[in-house]
Amino acid sequence: MSTQIISVLVEDEAGSLTRMSGMFSRRGINIHSLTVSPSEKEGMSRMTIVTTGDEREIEKIEKQLNKLIEVVKVNILDKNTSVVRDLCLLKVYADKENRAEVLEIANAFKSNIVDISIRTITLEITADPLDIDRFVETMKNFGIKELFRTGVTAISRDIEKKSGG
Amino acid sequence: MSEGLKGTEIVVKCLKEENVKNLFGFPGGQLIPLYDELYEETDVRSILVRHEQGAAHAADGYARASGDPGVCMATSGPGATNLITGLLNATMDSIPVVAFTAQVPTKAIGTDAFQEADTFGITMPITKHNFLVKSTDHLSWTIKGAFKIANTGRKGAVVIDLPNDVQQNRSKEYHHGEVKFAGYNPSIVPNPLQLKRIAQKLVEAERPLILAGGGVILANASEDLRLLAEYLGAGVATTLMGKGAIPENHPLSLGMVGMHGRLGANKMINNCDVLLVIGCRFSDRTTGWGLESFAPDAVKIHCDIDSSELNKNISVDFPLVGDANLVIRDLIKFIKKFEDVKKDTNIWRKRVNQLHSMCEECETVKPNGKLTPEIIIKTINNFLDDNAIVTTEVGQNQMFAAHYYITKKPRQFISSGGLGTMGFGFPAAIGAKVAKPDSQVLDIAGDGSFLMVCQELATAMTEDIPVVVGILNNSFLGMVRQWQELFWDKRYAGTKLGTLPDFVKLAESFGAYGERVEKASDIEKALKNAFDSGIVSVLDFKIESETNILPMIPPGGRVDEMIGVGRCRHK
Ligand SMILES: Cc1ncc(C[n+]2csc(CCOP(=O)(O)OP(=O)(O)O)c2C)c(N)n1
Ligand SMILES: [Mg+2]
Repeated sequence: MSTQIISVLVEDEAGSLTRMSGMFSRRGINIHSLTVSPSEKEGMSRMTIVTTGDEREIEKIEKQLNKLIEVVKVNILDKNTSVVRDLCLLKVYADKENRAEVLEIANAFKSNIVDISIRTITLEITADPLDIDRFVETMKNFGIKELFRTGVTAISRDIEKKSGG
Repeated sequence: MSEGLKGTEIVVKCLKEENVKNLFGFPGGQLIPLYDELYEETDVRSILVRHEQGAAHAADGYARASGDPGVCMATSGPGATNLITGLLNATMDSIPVVAFTAQVPTKAIGTDAFQEADTFGITMPITKHNFLVKSTDHLSWTIKGAFKIANTGRKGAVVIDLPNDVQQNRSKEYHHGEVKFAGYNPSIVPNPLQLKRIAQKLVEAERPLILAGGGVILANASEDLRLLAEYLGAGVATTLMGKGAIPENHPLSLGMVGMHGRLGANKMINNCDVLLVIGCRFSDRTTGWGLESFAPDAVKIHCDIDSSELNKNISVDFPLVGDANLVIRDLIKFIKKFEDVKKDTNIWRKRVNQLHSMCEECETVKPNGKLTPEIIIKTINNFLDDNAIVTTEVGQNQMFAAHYYITKKPRQFISSGGLGTMGFGFPAAIGAKVAKPDSQVLDIAGDGSFLMVCQELATAMTEDIPVVVGILNNSFLGMVRQWQELFWDKRYAGTKLGTLPDFVKLAESFGAYGERVEKASDIEKALKNAFDSGIVSVLDFKIESETNILPMIPPGGRVDEMIGVGRCRHK
């Protein structure tokens, strides 16, 4: 069982999100994250779904998605050749004593400070979801007050083919 | 707003363009506009049912018998929710049904208005697709799109939810020509390379077997299926939905496979060396349990119009997407090219013929004076003519019919497969009779099932739809009782029907014909009386209450592990 990223181009119709998520729940498939956003094509949205499954299970999901009338294209993204991003907003406890340490770690993870109060610091990080996992784990040591993640979005890299010679 | 066609005029115009001649419905406040439009309409007959579930099943039966989409309609709220079972029934068996449901006016949606239901949300997981029409401008496009989706690719039910104002407003928008969806383009043309590989495997087979599902019937491919089987010397087994895909009196026909299939058909599944499966989705009722032991030694070929069915339940060696009609036609072409390398299948063919005739001479249908389901159905086999349509309810009655009724042509055995809906057979018979008014139509029913829908006697009387219901009356929810007898220590919890109505008087109270049958020697006369009466009829066959339909694959059993084979000669 491995994590898979599925990118789906869908027509913007009322209910297409419900139809999509309904298919997953009806077939008993877990969704780790689901993001919806406009795409480069007018009247179409892109949904990025993260789920787990072996090759056969993912193939089934792909076929079931393709059956939905609004679904125009389904892509299973290869993690090795895709750029994968998640955005995280995290409010961590940071008082006088550990503030410096929190900032140091925040810096090491290349996260940005977006807000500071007397007792907390709010950080923003956009990165590969695994990096964010590590970031969150580390911050747990200080106590996390609130955590938001947008869910994964991803795009495939254009691999330039070497011209023969 | 005040120009163009009224929404309801658009609906009727579209219905005519889709060649809809009959629809089944039940009115209510929000559906008055559409009913009003149909009031003086002569080209589209609107048949009033007595419960919306009957409308959905009748539309379904109409579609199965005719091959054209069936149409039903219901009002908002409870009308729409009463359609649900019928819609899922159609979708699970891939039957094209288009349902119009009324909805509260667009402005009232979301306010919990009187008789508001989220029909769009409720019907989403049980239909092939559904629409909520928010403007009359979109109406014609939606209706044409709905018919296209229902009746192409893998067929199914489509719902169009019509708010009251959308029915009444006017619009100048009218979509001409075909509706296109960016994401819907069912691939029906089979891949020639894969076809060639499959043809090669088939000619190399010494023990070829074809398993035909409902897809063969839906694709009108039965004639070619028979040719293919004859050419290969292949036995043909079918699923419940595939009954009639090959004439069951054909010597290569092995009958139905699966839980209540024929022992011979099930055994041959595990004896063949190449299994060609067409238009079948490997339901658990077909395969039995332990999927790795389903045709374990055979090269498995699976052709289906729905690619998501390939490798879903069973892994196969050669998957192929395509319409059954094109698949079979092209296979015949390819196979002819390999004529010189074709293996001799004579020994196998003889074995198939032998199994076929053993079932034909089945001891259980020898008359012994007693009124048994087997004798009733054997008599029905002899009585009905070749164009007759048989529908069934669900339970033992259905499996007795599936096991013993000899279906000679496609679209003449109509039964609820995927959903197993009690109460389907009678309204489906009404729909089938509307589609084929010149055919004899008989519902082989159970007492429990018929009671769920007997109010449709009023529909059949009022609308002059003379179908015959033959109740295998065992005073039990027989199939569940059979399971309790065999697997639950005979604890008949909730299955004894207690006081049943007098079905003859029940029929008569509707003005219908009714007759009770208690002796085997009276079956034929009763059938004749019913069909001669010219009105909807109920025959109350009093059978023994604790009779079982055997053999069967017990729960958990493999396809060739049937119990109750005592009376089978080829065990
Ligand atoms: C709507 C519905 N409810 C419950 C069932 C479960 N069920 C399957 S067969 C059966 C018994 C059917 O009884 P009857 O119509 O008398 O037929 P018999 O088996 O006695 O021939 C029941 C309750 C069902 N299939 N459909
Ligand atoms: Mg019964």
